[in-house]
Amino acid sequence: MNKSPASSVLFLLLFLLSFTACSERVENPRWVINEVLVNNAENFVDDYGQRSGWIEIFNNTAKTQDIGGYFLTNDKSNPRKYSIPRGDVLTRIAPHQHILFWANNKPYQGTFHISFELNPDEDNYIALFDESGTKLIDEVIIPGKQLADVSWGYAMDGVKYDKAGTLQLTRLKKVTPSTNNYTLDKNEKVERFKQQDKFGASMTITSMLVVFCALLVLYIVFRFVGKSSARLNEKRRGKSTTVETTAGKPSTQDISGEVLSAIFMALHEEQNDVHDFEHTILTINKISKNYSPWSSKIYGLRELPRR
Amino acid sequence: MGNFFDFLIENLNTFISYTGFANVESGHIIMILFGILFIFLAIRYEFEPLLLVPIGFGILIGNIPFDLSANMEIGIYEEGSVLNILYQGVQKGWYPPLIFLGIGAMTDFSSLISNPKLVLVGAACQFGIFGAYIIALQLGFEPTEAASIGIIGGADGPTAIFLTSKLAPHLLGAVAISAYSYMALIPILQPPCMRLLTTKKERLIRMKSARVVSQNEKIIFPVIGLLLTAFLVPSGLPLLGMLFFGNLLKESGVTRRLAETARGPMIDIVTILLGLMVGVSTQATTFLTPASVKIFVLGALAFIIATCAGVLFVKFLNLFLKEGNKINPLIGNAGVSAVPGSARMSQVVGLEYDSTNHLLMHAMGPNVAGVIASAVAAGLMLGFLY
Repeated sequence: MNKSPASSVLFLLLFLLSFTACSERVENPRWVINEVLVNNAENFVDDYGQRSGWIEIFNNTAKTQDIGGYFLTNDKSNPRKYSIPRGDVLTRIAPHQHILFWANNKPYQGTFHISFELNPDEDNYIALFDESGTKLIDEVIIPGKQLADVSWGYAMDGVKYDKAGTLQLTRLKKVTPSTNNYTLDKNEKVERFKQQDKFGASMTITSMLVVFCALLVLYIVFRFVGKSSARLNEKRRGKSTTVETTAGKPSTQDISGEVLSAIFMALHEEQNDVHDFEHTILTINKISKNYSPWSSKIYGLRELPRR
Repeated sequence: MGNFFDFLIENLNTFISYTGFANVESGHIIMILFGILFIFLAIRYEFEPLLLVPIGFGILIGNIPFDLSANMEIGIYEEGSVLNILYQGVQKGWYPPLIFLGIGAMTDFSSLISNPKLVLVGAACQFGIFGAYIIALQLGFEPTEAASIGIIGGADGPTAIFLTSKLAPHLLGAVAISAYSYMALIPILQPPCMRLLTTKKERLIRMKSARVVSQNEKIIFPVIGLLLTAFLVPSGLPLLGMLFFGNLLKESGVTRRLAETARGPMIDIVTILLGLMVGVSTQATTFLTPASVKIFVLGALAFIIATCAGVLFVKFLNLFLKEGNKINPLIGNAGVSAVPGSARMSQVVGLEYDSTNHLLMHAMGPNVAGVIASAVAAGLMLGFLY
């Protein structure tokens, strides 16, 4: 009987563990080479009015990141081919936002014009390395023989691998420089609820089930903790008590809380002299004493800080 | 000389166009009257004065009419204004977790730990949230709006504000005012439901006095409570994390100063800012809409459903409990998490039928469980709809 709460807790832990995702998941990089256009015939124009291939990089985190100091390359043997300048405020990219680099081999035109071009006739290897130039952040190979104005990238921004670890690189339906590859025009979760849960029954049942489960788990755990604590107290009491409770006398557990609090209040009043009537007569006699502790420096010190 | 007078008159006209008198509309007057009513109720009848006084005065501040086109950066919705900066705490949801930190630091969970089955009563009361959610959907509200209205039934102001700021910020003023108003009106809303759903015999049930809870159990509670609830509903983390952290500060025994600050000066400062800003946000133009009236009605319904669900659930539990272990259904209402107002109601109604049957300590169990349960429910809705 006593073991039942323990076994319930064990069962519960096993039950919860069965839900945990223990398998290793392929992580998406924190910076993702999100979209690449190799052959720019009639597409996006740079700030000099020129057309060239471009590389869009996506900040795949929930924090602002600075890409300044990183390296872009199209040559595996030369990871430091183009160093993205440091100290440019424009290289600080907000969470889940993009930055676009023009692959026109004209780095003198500014931070976002890199020192190589993309070749439409052959496979293009593009990689991003961190500030050390040794750690690869992301890489991608865009297949050769590209049609004009067709971009490659990931259908969902930043999702390079799906949950099964499959590479999601694909030819995109729309060319979307510096904007999301996937356009959200409404909250899909809300739309699903609107269509499939018009009466709110599903939301109610699911949520109440989870709320009850959460608190049921709490109940089971604390029932177990309570019983263990009571057993522990019993053991301690058994060891430390020298005066046994004699038969016939009630133990403290049989006395109600109200009675106990009345007893404790009475004891408190007695021990701390907290009562209404004072019978003591206080007499102050003058004594001659030159030294008084009231002027002592040690009493002038500040109270020690409490923890 | 003529030019001077023309300039003087023009100046006076400009000044008059800036005054509240020149810009006042009927909505402002109605809202100002509401503000005065809130202050009156708080001071005269002591209805949740710590909340209604700041909210009521905030309504006055928020409804002083002025010329928006003057671009004086004084309005709450004008970016960069002082009020707008203070309002960020409501809008972005920083204030509610800070209030939960204070609540955790002042809440004694021992009544819950000593009788853990009472935690389920707190869960049952969350039917109020979802009952109101269903009705709101039928009245044509969007799921996000319905969830924000339903959470009023959780009877937890910070939770309601937190969820609404994420899901339906345009309803923030109405939801917050509704949540706090009904918390103040608990003495009016709950007793009729409690009496209606219980028999005289049930109201006289005496519950076993709670066992003494050891300090170790009190320390374990916030740690295990956080792990179990937040693992299940991570979206409730800002509220649950702060609630249990505050409680650990209180119970650890080694961080007394931090606990005192959290439950004293800090929660007071945040309550002042939260209450005032909620009041200020209720500008007539955004607040006086038919939707606000519906929200008020639904808020009351949510409270009533929650109270009834709690009382009925206790009666249901009693079917499985042995004689002597039964729970007085009058503590069922306390699962509505308004701490400690609803627990106090259990005590008051219980004493009406037996002047020696003190239910307060027993009612505190479901009461604090309600705080946890409503934070879990809010986290769930946030996860489903955000």
